[in-house]
Amino acid sequence: MAKNKEYNGSSGMVESLTPGDVVFNIINYLFFGVFTISCIFPFYYIFINTISDPGYVTSGQITLLPRGLTVQNYISMGKVNDLWNSVLITVARTILGTALMVVVSSLAGYLVTKKEMWHRQLWYRMLVITMYFNAGLIPWYLNMSMLGLTDSFAAYIIPGIVAPYNIILVKTYVESIPAEIEESAFMDGASYFTIYRKIIWPLSKPILATIAIFGAVGQWNSFQDSLILNANSPELYTLQHRLYIYLNQSSNIGAMAASGDVSEIASQLNTKIIQYTISMVTIIPILCVYPFMQRYFEKGLMLGAVKG
Amino acid sequence: MASGFVADDKEIAKRHEQMKKSSRSLPQKIADIVLIFSRLAVVVNVILMFFPSFNPARLSDLIGRNLSLFSCGVSYDSIVSNFGRAFRQGWVTEASFHKLNIFAFLIIISVIVMIGGACMSLGNTKTKKYGLIASAAGGALEIVSLVLIRSVYDEIVFTSREAGKLDKVLPQYPFINYAYYAVAAVVLVCTAITFALLIRTPSEKNFEMDPKYTLFLMMLPIIALAFVFSYLPLYGWRYAFFDYKAGETLTADKFVGLKYFLQLLQNDATKKDIVRVLRNTFAMSGLGILTSWVPMAFAIFLAEIKNGPFRRFVQTFTTIPNFISWVLVYAIAIAIFNTDGFVNTFLTNVTGTVHSTNYLMSSSHAWLKMLAWGMWKGVGWSAIIYVASISGIDQGLYEAATVDGAGRFAKMWYITVPELMPTFFVLLLMSVANILSNGMEQYLVFSNPMNKDAMQVLDLYVYNLGIGSGLIPLSTVIGMVKSFVSVVLLFGANTFSKAVRGESIV
Repeated sequence: MAKNKEYNGSSGMVESLTPGDVVFNIINYLFFGVFTISCIFPFYYIFINTISDPGYVTSGQITLLPRGLTVQNYISMGKVNDLWNSVLITVARTILGTALMVVVSSLAGYLVTKKEMWHRQLWYRMLVITMYFNAGLIPWYLNMSMLGLTDSFAAYIIPGIVAPYNIILVKTYVESIPAEIEESAFMDGASYFTIYRKIIWPLSKPILATIAIFGAVGQWNSFQDSLILNANSPELYTLQHRLYIYLNQSSNIGAMAASGDVSEIASQLNTKIIQYTISMVTIIPILCVYPFMQRYFEKGLMLGAVKG
Repeated sequence: MASGFVADDKEIAKRHEQMKKSSRSLPQKIADIVLIFSRLAVVVNVILMFFPSFNPARLSDLIGRNLSLFSCGVSYDSIVSNFGRAFRQGWVTEASFHKLNIFAFLIIISVIVMIGGACMSLGNTKTKKYGLIASAAGGALEIVSLVLIRSVYDEIVFTSREAGKLDKVLPQYPFINYAYYAVAAVVLVCTAITFALLIRTPSEKNFEMDPKYTLFLMMLPIIALAFVFSYLPLYGWRYAFFDYKAGETLTADKFVGLKYFLQLLQNDATKKDIVRVLRNTFAMSGLGILTSWVPMAFAIFLAEIKNGPFRRFVQTFTTIPNFISWVLVYAIAIAIFNTDGFVNTFLTNVTGTVHSTNYLMSSSHAWLKMLAWGMWKGVGWSAIIYVASISGIDQGLYEAATVDGAGRFAKMWYITVPELMPTFFVLLLMSVANILSNGMEQYLVFSNPMNKDAMQVLDLYVYNLGIGSGLIPLSTVIGMVKSFVSVVLLFGANTFSKAVRGESIV
């Protein structure tokens, strides 16, 4: 009985199943089972294709199980230079961009709780408004190009440093820390920065982990900035952008054979395997951090906390 | 007890501050006012530095129009990107431009020093005095750099005249240089006045600053970044009123007033496009709003699953698609639905006849397909907030209902749904407010020649128009209208929420 309670369902107290319940349960389990499989299967299908012998993949013989196990596909992809380049760029932007965003969000989140600050409300509102209002894509693009942030790696990092939503999450969290802790440090003559470093930073680690993990996923997945700002610098393309290019090339194999690096290996690999392998390379990091992310889901969902 | 103590403490601090203020002498008060001008001048200087139209280092027409003084200072390559031929044929010497690069960098340094001085001017008298030294040094350095840039200009004129290529190099001395001189002069004059005023005021022992300014100065870089990336783009709205093509400079004669706003209403081709795009936008957003109850239903039915491990399994794996990008979703779509994707391979192997339908290339049901992909990606994640709310519902309610003989569906409908309604309502209003913003990524990746008419939503249309076709004014106009409408919708939704629930949503 006690076990039943934690399930929280609306029929938590039912003990004997009526025929109606049985039918309901069968349908319910079936629905969720099928939907869950639809969420897993595509990843599995792409994966078994990448570890199968290219001959089987090309002739369409892979359906549910891999055939002719091999890692040759990954090794061949490793020879594609622009793919490595994109991996490096994406890893660099993910690490650097996330680290800066977290440090700045935590400092800003702490500062906006300080009522003594000169015109605090004004600055805080200024940050909040940016979440609901923007000038539009083209003015944004023209602004970035005016600032010299086109065709540069900095375009991936600098605009993302100040993330208002994350600042608000940190602010809400800092407000929940008992004020007495900070006050006692203040009495001992600690400066604001010391308080931030020695008290606020360590105590707000749970929320910082949350924004770090969501920020990192965002950086890893970002595609628009590479597409719009760095269109003329293929050496700066992110992994998502690279994948997008390979996906579109499939419909045009002639264009693919013409482009240097790929034509060399195109004889060994067909477009399908190239697409699948890059997709796998792009998915794997997300699947790796995913188990760690789950416990931060609910903190990331503090929608009600967003208040000016 | 503790709070009473703190209040007292704050009051003491306040009185202390008032005492300090009243005890300040007249020269100090005047100095504070003078310093405001000095700080403003520094702010203006910083802003000038980042605008390409105010670049004093653009000494030749060959230097890129989109370079700001800042770019000229940090990157030599950007200055000389158009100078290949000029250097090879000896119209100008590379040395002049190396110098130009260094002098532009000196201006950046001088501005940084002045920023330091301006920040210190918020402190006590001792801090102020040291800040004055910084301001004076920065202002002087800036003027020296400007004079040196003038000498580089003379040098360029000289070498290009020698080479007889004055018309090719087109040396120019930007009028805007005098603005920099003026700003530096304001800083120097204010510094001198303040110095004269404060020279008799004794310095304190330590560097100190009112906490309200310390906090502000810590916040300042963050405010500056937010300003640059979220407010500065508004300056780009001016392109809506000019006949502007990418790469040109804006000049007054290109001003066309409301031409592009009227084009939106009068030009038949544009009007037809807009109607089609709006239909797509409203269709996609509308379908999203009509199905916004699905995540709630998902969570409610998920709660009916009594097998804990299975429920967690479902929750874990249905959330994954939310964390992959739309490009990857498209990769998955290709893997499953392409001519040689899973569905065709499977059908071929099972039925023995060759199937090779390209499900992605068809133009039918584009809206519903996009809805389905959106659902597949988002429903598990959107359900989490409802799952969390369901676990917070008082179990007593269910027990009481059971005793009263309520069945499974009655309890869902009369207990769970009403408990989830507030959350649902907020999310619904937010999606109504965002009706014009479906984002472009999903529609961009899934577009193909077959379905592109049905896929073009507003965001994608603006992208195609502005970035793809280079029609900057028209796409800016559309973006402006969209921003206005979005704000109005948001305020409307917020007002509605206040009236109905007594609580705001933003």
